[in-house]
Amino acid sequence: MKITVKLFATFRQGRFKIEDRDVPVGTRVLDVLHSLDIDPADVGTLFVKGRAVEVDRVLDEGEAIAIFPLVGGG
Amino acid sequence: MAAPSDLERWARHIVLRDVGGPGQQKIRAARVLVVGAGGLGSPILLYLAAAGIGTIGLVDDDRVSLSNLQRQVIHRLEDVGRLKVESARDAIARLDPGIAVVLHPIRLDAANADAIVAGWDVVVDGVDTLDARFVLADACERARTPLVSSGVLEFYGWLTVLEPWKTGEDGRPNPRFRDVVRRPAQGRQPTCAEVGILGVVPGVLGTLAANEVLKLVVGYGEPLVRRLLSVDLRDVGFDVLDYAAPDPGDGS
Repeated sequence: MKITVKLFATFRQGRFKIEDRDVPVGTRVLDVLHSLDIDPADVGTLFVKGRAVEVDRVLDEGEAIAIFPLVGGG
Repeated sequence: MAAPSDLERWARHIVLRDVGGPGQQKIRAARVLVVGAGGLGSPILLYLAAAGIGTIGLVDDDRVSLSNLQRQVIHRLEDVGRLKVESARDAIARLDPGIAVVLHPIRLDAANADAIVAGWDVVVDGVDTLDARFVLADACERARTPLVSSGVLEFYGWLTVLEPWKTGEDGRPNPRFRDVVRRPAQGRQPTCAEVGILGVVPGVLGTLAANEVLKLVVGYGEPLVRRLLSVDLRDVGFDVLDYAAPDPGDGS
């Protein structure tokens, strides 16, 4: 199935801003993070369809996931 | 407000559609608390003071250091070693001595947050950790006070406005801070001191945060409620993502 991955801030470095991916049915957010070599502990914001989700959320066909790192300076 | 010098000072606001004299009076009557007088706090305070916010509260226990001056533009070389709230108060007075400034030279924490947040029209987050943002967001939610929240690191930043006690047009409650940012594990969040921060990044995000305050106070435009602005100043890109509270019964 097709999903869209959107990366933000430092997660873009050495990766991409947006990419369509073909993944197996049943793919979880955590599987996407692993495939990108992103440690879940470094993730600040995870949105699927504009809702905050946990890493065990199973993705559906056509969904877009937005992944932000922890950006907490001021 | 009636003095001729006031009309001249705010002339560009007074002729501006959707602000005008009534908007400027709202700005002068407003009480805005800025938590943190650092990278984000500097442009927030300078623009709020320039706009004429009548009462500004300052919360910060830190002192100005030389490494702050690369981005904390409200402070000067001769302020190094002074309390940031006192340095910022003086800068505000140089712009407009008619602004009342309330100083809290303390660090916001769970024990003092409710007392600090009480009685303000809008609270602005310029703190330096996500942990402090959770404390501030919880206190603002309890006080039912709008919170303009942003964060910066390296070349990047984000901005949103939180009013979680209100419901949206869909009848659902607005999202809370925890619906935007996951609570970081202890010791996981990188700091500006560790990984750096481009000086202009808090300049851009803090200026946009000041605009959100003025939107809330005056009533022009749509505040960034339920919307997350993500700014990338490495390549230069602005993304706005709509977000909402989790669906009822959604276990995720």
